[in-house]
Amino acid sequence: MASADVVLQIEGLTKIYRSLFTPAGVRAVDNLNLTVRQGETYSIVGPNGSGKTTTLKILLGLIFPTAGSASIFGKSIADLSVRERIGFLPEDAYLYDCFSGEELLDFYAGLFGYSKARRRELVDELLTLVGMQANRKVPFRECSKGMRQRIALAQALVNDPELLILDEPTSGLDPAGRHQMTLLIQEMKKRGKTILLCSHFLAEVEEVCDRVGIMYRGRLVAEGTIEELAGEPEETVVTVTDLSPETAQRLSALPAVKEVAADVVRLDHVGEKDLWQALEIIHDGGGEIVEVSRPRPSLQDIFVKAIREEVE
Amino acid sequence: MNPVVTKVILTVGVALIVAAAVVTRRAWLPAIWHAIPSVWRIAKITVAEARRRRVLQAVIALVILIIVSMTFFSYLSPQEQARMLINGGLSAITVFGIMLAIFVAAFLIPNEVESRTVYAILAKPVRRFEFVLGKYLGALIVLAAVVAIMTVVLVGVLVVQDHLVEDLPDSVFNPNIAQVVFASAMSYCALAVLTALIVLISTVSSTTMTVISAFIIWVVGSMQSQIHDLAEKATGAAKLLLLVMYHLIPHLENFDFRFQASYFVPIPVPAAISAVISGILYTGVVLIVASVFFNDRQV
Repeated sequence: MASADVVLQIEGLTKIYRSLFTPAGVRAVDNLNLTVRQGETYSIVGPNGSGKTTTLKILLGLIFPTAGSASIFGKSIADLSVRERIGFLPEDAYLYDCFSGEELLDFYAGLFGYSKARRRELVDELLTLVGMQANRKVPFRECSKGMRQRIALAQALVNDPELLILDEPTSGLDPAGRHQMTLLIQEMKKRGKTILLCSHFLAEVEEVCDRVGIMYRGRLVAEGTIEELAGEPEETVVTVTDLSPETAQRLSALPAVKEVAADVVRLDHVGEKDLWQALEIIHDGGGEIVEVSRPRPSLQDIFVKAIREEVE
Repeated sequence: MNPVVTKVILTVGVALIVAAAVVTRRAWLPAIWHAIPSVWRIAKITVAEARRRRVLQAVIALVILIIVSMTFFSYLSPQEQARMLINGGLSAITVFGIMLAIFVAAFLIPNEVESRTVYAILAKPVRRFEFVLGKYLGALIVLAAVVAIMTVVLVGVLVVQDHLVEDLPDSVFNPNIAQVVFASAMSYCALAVLTALIVLISTVSSTTMTVISAFIIWVVGSMQSQIHDLAEKATGAAKLLLLVMYHLIPHLENFDFRFQASYFVPIPVPAAISAVISGILYTGVVLIVASVFFNDRQV
């Protein structure tokens, strides 16, 4: 059911690797259904071997599905014209290591048939965008991991793609490199690009993604926005100071209160009436209310929970 | 096989291929037109990559050293020396050219797959056959440059030697430069055919297996007349195997004109034309098969 704003649609995608030793095959991707809409940043997360990279490789025509189908911009992934509109950042920046960033970008831009003048312009723009102007002539093999990753991102952008497919863009980078890469992805998002991202770094995913799909053993076990996946907050946390023992005792007597510590009161997810009652007791007892929060689980928590449920 | 029958088969084959190509031109012409820029870009980067590898310079330097060192055999008569220079020089060009062809071609595709550099290329609007043809064309350009440099050095040595001995009494050095260049060009044709076959093997096997297979093909391809004789005497499975080898592996000895060049014997032009045409057809078929295999390969 393709609608106008659907950029990527995957239906029943399955990939089984068979060998002499595993005649039944290993299901790398198992009946995957997934939709990415225009302008959306969608992240596939999952442990190693969950089928993330296999899915991306199928979308790029590097390997072929055993069953199911996928379309990009409403066209089959086998259609070459689709690749005019997508950019791909491979994991670990596998590029020719004897060439400089400038030479590499010129080569990849040439594959789109750009003229020499246009290529020169483009190479300048991209090197500036990824902050590699000063190191444009450094051979790729002599670049740091962060520099390599930035050149690899630049090559994915040579055709100003509408859909960016990023495989582990922050893998192997130090915190500063990860931050820079996250900023670049956010910049791409601001420019209206649709982004499909695979990553292990859940904090970055949480920072840039609109929706997340959690894959485990080739299957999509959970999908949605972080808020949808997190569900309703399970507790209300009141941070306090100057909590007297009497006040603590009165609070403990309330049915909604789960825990009372020196500086924090935890309540089950309660209605306004229960919360106000607890706050009044704290106030009347001379305690000072610092913060009332309803923390949602992090993506890490959601991820661990989803995988645990699958394993069980 | 009777030479007349061979010629008829060859002529009819060429005519059929040309006719099929003309009839189906609407199907393949746009694809070829679209492919040219990509093939050329991939060929160029293959050449640039090869230029930066030291092994290429080392092979050229070694062959130049061999050719130049052959001028030191001053005890030979001028004509014998010319013969030895031409035969030795052409042999060095052929042997080192073939070894270079094997090592360049065997690494062309497997290296791209193993180092995963192919991902970023095939994620662009590049058809797989364009990638195969680009890599092949790149290898051809590299080999052409290497053979050209080595031939220029050989010709240069012959010309200098000719000038050095011309004042000696009764000296006949007199090399036929055109024949030397022709023999070298034919060696290059053999390299082109062998490279295509190595590219085909490399689309379905690892680098190591490709290198081993390429050496076997080189040896078998250079002694096809012996293979034919053996096949006539053999029986059963051995005969079948030898016949398969005889018919499938290119007859590299058909491109060998070292004897004519070094013994100043006229080049048999029809044989050379026949070798070139059959080489082009064989290469074309092999590259089509290589493209089909690579098209189905999971990378």
